[in-house]
Amino acid sequence: MDCEKIMRLFQSELVVVNVGPKLFAEALEKQNYQTVQVDWKPIAGGDREMQDILAVLGGLD
Amino acid sequence: MTIEQKVNAANAQAVEILTKARPVWADVQPAIDVIPGMSKNTVLVPGPPLPVERITPPIRTSICGAVVHEGLAKTKEDAWEMVLRGEITVEPAQNHQCGCAACMVVSASMPVMVAEDRVYGGKGYAPIHPGPNPKCLRWGFYDEDVERDLSWFRDHFGPALGRAVRKSGGIDLITVLAKTAGMGDENHNRQPAASMYLALQVIPWMLDDPDPQRDEMIRHFAANDRFFLHPMMAGVESITKSIKKIPLSTVVAGMAGNGVEFGIQLAGTGNRWYTTQAPVIQGTFLNPSYTEADLLGYLGDSCVTEVYGLGGMSAIAGPAYLRMTGSTIAEARSRTEKARAVSLGEHTFAPIPWDDFKGFPVGLDARKIVGLNILPISHGGSALKKGGQGGAGAAELPLECFKDALRAIHKETLAQAEQEG
Repeated sequence: MDCEKIMRLFQSELVVVNVGPKLFAEALEKQNYQTVQVDWKPIAGGDREMQDILAVLGGLD
Repeated sequence: MTIEQKVNAANAQAVEILTKARPVWADVQPAIDVIPGMSKNTVLVPGPPLPVERITPPIRTSICGAVVHEGLAKTKEDAWEMVLRGEITVEPAQNHQCGCAACMVVSASMPVMVAEDRVYGGKGYAPIHPGPNPKCLRWGFYDEDVERDLSWFRDHFGPALGRAVRKSGGIDLITVLAKTAGMGDENHNRQPAASMYLALQVIPWMLDDPDPQRDEMIRHFAANDRFFLHPMMAGVESITKSIKKIPLSTVVAGMAGNGVEFGIQLAGTGNRWYTTQAPVIQGTFLNPSYTEADLLGYLGDSCVTEVYGLGGMSAIAGPAYLRMTGSTIAEARSRTEKARAVSLGEHTFAPIPWDDFKGFPVGLDARKIVGLNILPISHGGSALKKGGQGGAGAAELPLECFKDALRAIHKETLAQAEQEG
C-alpha cells in the first residue's frame, strides 16, 4: 500500500462529497469545510416492494 | 421484448394520443341522449366510487336535488330513501367519460356539453358551468332557487348553447388554448382569457337564436369567466376515452376526489380506480372564519385538467392563481418542474412565454412518480363539509394510489408472462 499517498491525502485540504441528505454537508460547511452535494435519493423513497416492481417495469432511466 | 420495453411502448402510444388528439366542443344534449350507460334513474357523481353511506353531505344534497329535479321524488328526504333502497344508480362520472367538477352531479335530463376528439374519435361530457352564483348544485345546494336555475339550463340555456355550437361547426379547444397562451390562465382554476375567447367564438352564433330569452342567455354566458373549465373537462374526457385501452400503460388517464378518498385511473387498466385518503386543499379561505376543519378532502373531477397538463401541472402559466392562493412565483415554477420530472410528453400548442416558451408537461407516469418520489400537484377549489366553496389552492397527489396502480400493472405483467408460457 502506498502510505505516502494516503498521508498526502490526509494532509491536503478536506473537500467532502456528500451523497443524499444535505444536513450532513451543512454541518461541515458551518465548520468551514468545503462540500460538494450530490442530489441522490433512494428509488421509491427506499420502499423495497416498489423497488422490486420498478426493477421490472423500469421507466427511471 | 422486455417488460420495460412493452410498458415504454404502451406509454409512448398513450402520450402520442394525449399530445395529438384534437378535442372539439361539438354539442349540448340531455345527458340521457348522449352519455353511454345513462338511464332515467342514474346519477353521475364526481370522484372514485364510494358506498352510499359514506357519501359526503354536499354530494348527498346534490344527488337528492338531481332526483327531485328529475321528478323521481317529491322531497330530498324521499330521494335519499330511494338511493338507500338502490332505486337510484349512483356511479362515478368518469367511468362514463363525464367530468363533474366540485359537488356537481349529472342526471338524465341535464344538458351536458359533448366534446369530440376528431383525431381518435372519443367523446367526452361535462355539465355546463352554473356561473358565479355560489348557491348552486355544483357546490352542494338545492332549493327552489337552484331548481329554477337547473330548469332554465335544461329548457333554455343548454339547448341554445347546443344550437350555437352546432351552427359554428364546433369549437376547437386546442385553438382556444393556443390563442390564449401567455394570457395568464392555468386553465383549471383560472381561465378568464380562455372563457372570453370561447365566448367570442360562440356568441356570434347565438345572436339570431329564436329563444325569447336570448339576451339573458348571452348576458349569463359572457359574464362567466370560469365557463371554459367545463368544455375543457369534456374535451379531456374525449381524449382519455382513447387511452383507457392500452394494456400495461402506466400513464395516468383519470383522477378525482369524492371528499373522502382520492383516486387515479391508469391507461393500462381503464376505469379501475386506485384510491387512498383524499388530501385537503391548502391555500386560501374565502371567508376568514373558515378553518381546515371545515373542509372536506379533495372533491371533484376537475383535476382531469391536470391529466391533460393544465392546472397545477402548468402552474407557471398562471402565476396570478398562486398569488391569489397565498403562494409564490417560485412555487409556481417548482410545481411545473415537478410535473415535468414525472411526465412523458409536452404540449407544443401553448408555449409559456415567461418559461422559455416551454409547453405544458403531459402524460404523468406512475413509475416516475413512485420511483423518483416526486408528487405532482393539482390545483382546486375546496368544498365545505356543510356545502359551498371554502377556499382555493392546491394539493399534492397522494403517493399511495400510484403505488397501488403499479402493483396492479405489475400483476398484469406477471399474468401476461404466464400466458406466454
